[in-house]
Order: sequence, then structure tokens, then C-alpha cells
Amino acid sequence: MRKLFYSAMIFGGLSLVSCSNDDDNIQVPGENEVVVPANYTFERDNSSTVYYGGQTTRLEMSKEITSNFLNFDGATEEMLLNMFANENSPFENAELNESSKSVKSKVAASNLYFSTNTVESSEIRNDFESWIAEQMTTVKANKDELAEAGKAGQIAQGTTARYVNGKGLEPNQAFAKSLIGGLLVDQILNNYLSQAVLDEGDNRMNNENDVTEEGKAYTTMEHKWDEAYGYLYGDPSIPANDPNSMLNESDDNLLFNYLGRVDADEDFAGIAESTYEAFKTGRAAIVAGDYELRDEQVEIIRENLSKVIAVRAVHYLQGGKDALNNQEYGAAFHELSEGFGFIYSLRFTHNPETGAPYLSKTQIDAYKQALLDGNGFWDVTPETLDSISEEIAAAFGFAVSEA
Amino acid sequence: MIRISRILVLATLVFAACSTEDDSNGGGNSNDNFDRGAMLANWADNVIVPSFENFQSETQKLEAAAKNFAANPEMSELEALRAQYEDAYLEFQTVSMFQIGKAEELNYRNFLNTYPVNESSLESKIASGEYNLSLPSSFTEQGFPALDYLLYGYGSAEATLEKLGGNENYSNYLVAISERINALTSEVTASWQGDFRDTFVNNTGSSSTGSVDRFTNDYVMYFEKILRSGKIGYPSGALTGTPSPGNAEALYAGISKELYLKAFNSFEDFYKGKTGPSYSQYLDYLGSMKDGSDLDALIRDQFEAIKAQSADLNNNLKSQVESDNTKMLTAFDELQKAVILLKVDMMQSLSTSVDYVDSDGD
Repeated sequence: MRKLFYSAMIFGGLSLVSCSNDDDNIQVPGENEVVVPANYTFERDNSSTVYYGGQTTRLEMSKEITSNFLNFDGATEEMLLNMFANENSPFENAELNESSKSVKSKVAASNLYFSTNTVESSEIRNDFESWIAEQMTTVKANKDELAEAGKAGQIAQGTTARYVNGKGLEPNQAFAKSLIGGLLVDQILNNYLSQAVLDEGDNRMNNENDVTEEGKAYTTMEHKWDEAYGYLYGDPSIPANDPNSMLNESDDNLLFNYLGRVDADEDFAGIAESTYEAFKTGRAAIVAGDYELRDEQVEIIRENLSKVIAVRAVHYLQGGKDALNNQEYGAAFHELSEGFGFIYSLRFTHNPETGAPYLSKTQIDAYKQALLDGNGFWDVTPETLDSISEEIAAAFGFAVSEA
Repeated sequence: MIRISRILVLATLVFAACSTEDDSNGGGNSNDNFDRGAMLANWADNVIVPSFENFQSETQKLEAAAKNFAANPEMSELEALRAQYEDAYLEFQTVSMFQIGKAEELNYRNFLNTYPVNESSLESKIASGEYNLSLPSSFTEQGFPALDYLLYGYGSAEATLEKLGGNENYSNYLVAISERINALTSEVTASWQGDFRDTFVNNTGSSSTGSVDRFTNDYVMYFEKILRSGKIGYPSGALTGTPSPGNAEALYAGISKELYLKAFNSFEDFYKGKTGPSYSQYLDYLGSMKDGSDLDALIRDQFEAIKAQSADLNNNLKSQVESDNTKMLTAFDELQKAVILLKVDMMQSLSTSVDYVDSDGD
């Protein structure tokens, strides 16, 4: 339907344009032929115009924070809170301490979803801080005790010990998986790829006239696009211009990692390639000044990355259900903890048809509530897990069995 | 909705391709015959100049009150000085947004109202008795925030009198910063009363160097940076996630909400134009719409929402941050909605390009 409508318009447009004698192309000023390179390589006057160091920095900060969650002997609540906000030189990597950036300041901070919604933004940041606090107080205090319903402690998954709160939730998983949505997906889909940011101020004019940022090789619009790219592909172990060569082999443990996992599922095979193509094509479209083509790529990226979150949410709910049915509580709680984080991340997805998340905040809050009600994972029923799975899968247009 | 806007964009491109007229404003209104000169004259003659004249009479009284207190350091003189500080600080909120011409050249707003004050360097300057208030490095040691600290930072009126009363270093400094507020204000007021008024009003061009373009950039930036961020955003930590109540305006006198509302009401009055044409009339003339609604009405409604929300705020915004910061964040969100209407929609309608951008990338 959409396609038909759209091509009808182009057709109508072309016939109208024929009123002009000199040119029958719809040629936007500043627009040139779009050349999509094989790799994510873009240059101006022989200098690379691709730069996303700030994203790599935030990804490295995230990694150091999450890797310290289980460091019960060395880490404290204060230390992790400092890392989250980058205060008081908390990082082992001194470069991170010197950075003016922090993870916290970019959590739930996108232009589209949160610029007039700092109330919710503040609640979300509080959630992240509360997982830190809970891990370093309640869970840490009981780290040498066995967990039971209503009581934090250890629980075995095979030979591994998992550390859970009284509801069976691993705060470290809640933090890490929610960060995939709250930081990466939100910044990519709802900030850097939004027209409000890409087209801010004179960005279009400057981009068309090759007006670069002071002392840089890139235009502001090019750079905004690369910053989106950097949140997905910015882990140092991912090759800058050919990221998919390390798909499912990189050290990334956030969005790129799960893009690879979903891509490895045959029901979603090709999602990594299509995402990468869209990033390259959109970037090439910016170079050529073709903003319509650019925005079509934005839609593809929004749909694909949103789907990664949804597929993993359903995947873990189903994995949790199966483990519960086998009474493997440790395995179940681990799956459900990851699933909880991906459900939390649904809030930051972006449906290009509506310009909003695929599921409403009210629905997502209800899922979280259903999972953590009473004694949480100790009480949750397979029926609840199935009904949440069904609703998520339906909203995103896939089958529960595919995840 | 997305579909429709895409069709509109496409249709616009198609029509543009047929038109021989070159629209160098990039999608703006090329047939804009609104009388910019009349608007500029209204701004200058009915708002800006009278506001500066009113404020100047307050700064004269402020200087006089400081000198009275220095000559006669008694309770009644201290109380008079405190009261005059509050009156003048309030009146300052009616001119703070006019950072153009002489005010811009002098860094007027920075000298009068950079906060929070740097207490330790202020104290050491006072103790040494040596200071050069014209240095940019002394922004945080003068102006109303310094008066606020000196007149209210030591506690009760009795304690303040004891601290300042018998000490020439303090009374000299009080006089020096009051004199400076008055001198800078005289200079700016005089420039408006002199040639600058005509320079401003006659520069009716629609390019980026025309008065309307330049002023609009200053006006909207004031709303975003000084009013939204300065008065509400920084204390509440809306942008950083870390509340810092110590960044509230008038930290010690505790009159931050009154200052906020005075600034906001002045801003709104300016938008509406009071006695003549301003942005409201200009947008009406252009018939500007946003998503099918009248843009001017949307802006006015948002101003009402901001005022309605402010009823929830404590008179002291520092206390509000400490007791229930959500209300401060709500205030910020309402202000930000107006920022979008002004900075994106209004400025686009006026074909004014934004000469400052906000998004802090990496």
C-alpha cells in the first residue's frame, strides 16, 4: 500500500515536472550521484571524514562498568556510581577519566523521545543507579548465601554461580541489557538519525556547500550520522570500515553482539547485512545531498535495530520458560534477567510508521510489573511469559517460535 | 502523518522545479512584505528603551543605597540596601534578554548576572582590597550574584550587619560592584537613547545581518540558555542527570522563582508586542502553521502551560530541587516545548537561520 502510494506520487511528480523544458530530473540543489562504497570509507580531499571517538569512549566506559558488577571484593556502590557519571576519576583506563563524557548523561537523552521529557529521563537514570546500588548492597551482602524466594544470594546455573536479588533478578544483567536500549538504541535511532539532529540549524546548507566543522574534514551532518554508526560499530575490536567481518566474533557485548546473534538465527538472517548497507547508503546519500534516500535508510535502521531488541526479549522469555519447566532455576533466572533488560530496552525502539516505540510505555511497564510482581521470577508462570512473548512478537510482526 | 509530510516535501520539490524564481532563503517566505521597520521601532521605542530606562533608575538607587550604607552602616540602611537589591534584580530580568549592540559589546549580562558566585575568590579579593572588575575573569565576583552573597550569605540581618558594618573592605566592595552595575547600565541605556536606536530600527533587511535576524537569534538563545537552562535546567540537572541546587539564581536571598517569573513574563510580553507589532503579529501575518495548527496560538498556549506549571514551584527553586526535583524537571520540559516552537518553527517561518546550535555531539 505504502509503496503504491509512494510511486504514484513520484509518477505524478514527474509528469508535473515536464512543465519545465530544461531538465526532467527532480534534481535537488546540491544533489549529486549517490555512490555507495563497498566499505564504510568516506573521504574529502584524501582525508577520512569518518570519526566517532566519543562513541567508542562511551562503549568502553560501559564495558568497564558492567565488568565490575561482579567484582564484589574490589568494587563498591560509590565506585560504580562514579563510573556511571564519570566523576572522581573512577576508571582504570586513565583516558576515560580524562574524558568529559559520561554514560549517564546520554542515557534516555535523545532529542526525539526525551528533550521535553526529562522527568521520565530522570526516572530511567534512577533505575540504572538503583541496579548498581542493589548489586553492591543487597546482593553483595548475601553473596555467600543461597538465594531463595524473597532473599538475595547465589543460585547455580550448571557450574556457574549467578547472583540475584530477592526476586531472582540479576541486577548486572538488568543494567547491561537495559543499557543497550537506554544508551545505544536511543542515541542511534532517536537522536543522531532524527531529522531534528541531522537537519539542525544550517546543517543541510553547510553539507551541500562542503562547509566542514572547524578544523575537521567532515560536515556536521556527516558527523552526526557517523556518531550513530559509532554506537553500533564503535567497539575497538570491530574493524571500522568492515564491521561485519567480525560479526559474532568481536569483543562487543552490547548491540553489535546481539545484532550478530539475531542474524545467526535463520529466521532473521541478513539483518546485519541490511543494517550495514543502510548505514553505508545513508552516509553516501548525505555526501550526495540526497536526503530522501538518507531518510529511507533511517527507516530501515530503525526497523532492524528495534527488531533486534524485540527478538532477544522474546528469545530470553521463552528460554526462561523452558528452563522453569525443567526446574532449572539458575538458568531460568539468568535468561529472564536478560529478557527483563531487553524488555526495558523496548521503550527506546522506534517504529518508522508511527515515530514512536512499537509498544507503549504503559504496555512495557505492565510487562516489567508482571515479571517482578510478588517474588518475581520465583513466582512467574509460563502463561505470563507466553502472553508477554506473544504481544511483543505481534507488535513487531514475527512469530514467537522464530525468536 | 509521515506519509503526508513526505508527499508535501515531494510536491514542494516538484513545484520548486517549475518555478523560475530563486528562493535563496531555503524554503522561507519570499513574498514577505511584513513591515519589519514598524516592528523594530515598536521593539525599540515601546519596550527596549523604556525597560532600560526603568532599570537604570533602579541601578541609580542601588548605587545610592550602597553608598548610604557605607557611610552609615546601620540596620535601617542595610535593610534599605537589601530591598533595593531585590527591586533592581527583578527589574534586571526585563532587560537581560536584550544582549545586542552595546550590551553585547560590553558583555553586559555576564558582568551583571553570572552565577553561582565564586565565594572564595570573592572573599580573597575583598580581603586584599585589590581588584579589577573589568576583567572577564571577574564575572563570578560581581553583579547581582555577588550582592546576593554579601547581603544574604552571612545569615540574619544582624549577622550581616556585624560582618559588613565595621569593615571598610566590605563596604568599599559593595559600593564598587553597585557602581559598576549602574555604570554599565548607563552606558547601554545611553547607546539606545543615542544613535544605536536608529541603527537598529533602520536595519530592516531580511538577511542574516538584518536586525530582525540578529535579534531573533539573541532572543531565542536567551530563552534557551539563560532562562530555561540557567534558571531551571542547571539547578535541576535536567541535562546532566545530576541536580545541583547550588546553581540556583539568587541562592541566598531565595527569590529565584520571582526572578524566573519576571524574566518569563517579560519574554512573553515581548513576544506579544504589547503596544505594537512583534513576533505574534508577524506569525499571524505569515499565517504560520505547525501540523495543521496556528503556530502563534501554539506558542501562546505553551506560554500559558509554563505559567500554570510554575504554580507548583516553591518560591525558592533551590529548596524545590532539594525537596521534589520532579517539579523542576517538569518546568524544564514545558520550557523546552516552547524552545522547539520558537527555535525550529518560528525561526523557520521567519526564514531566520539559527546561528547557534545546541546538540552536544561527541
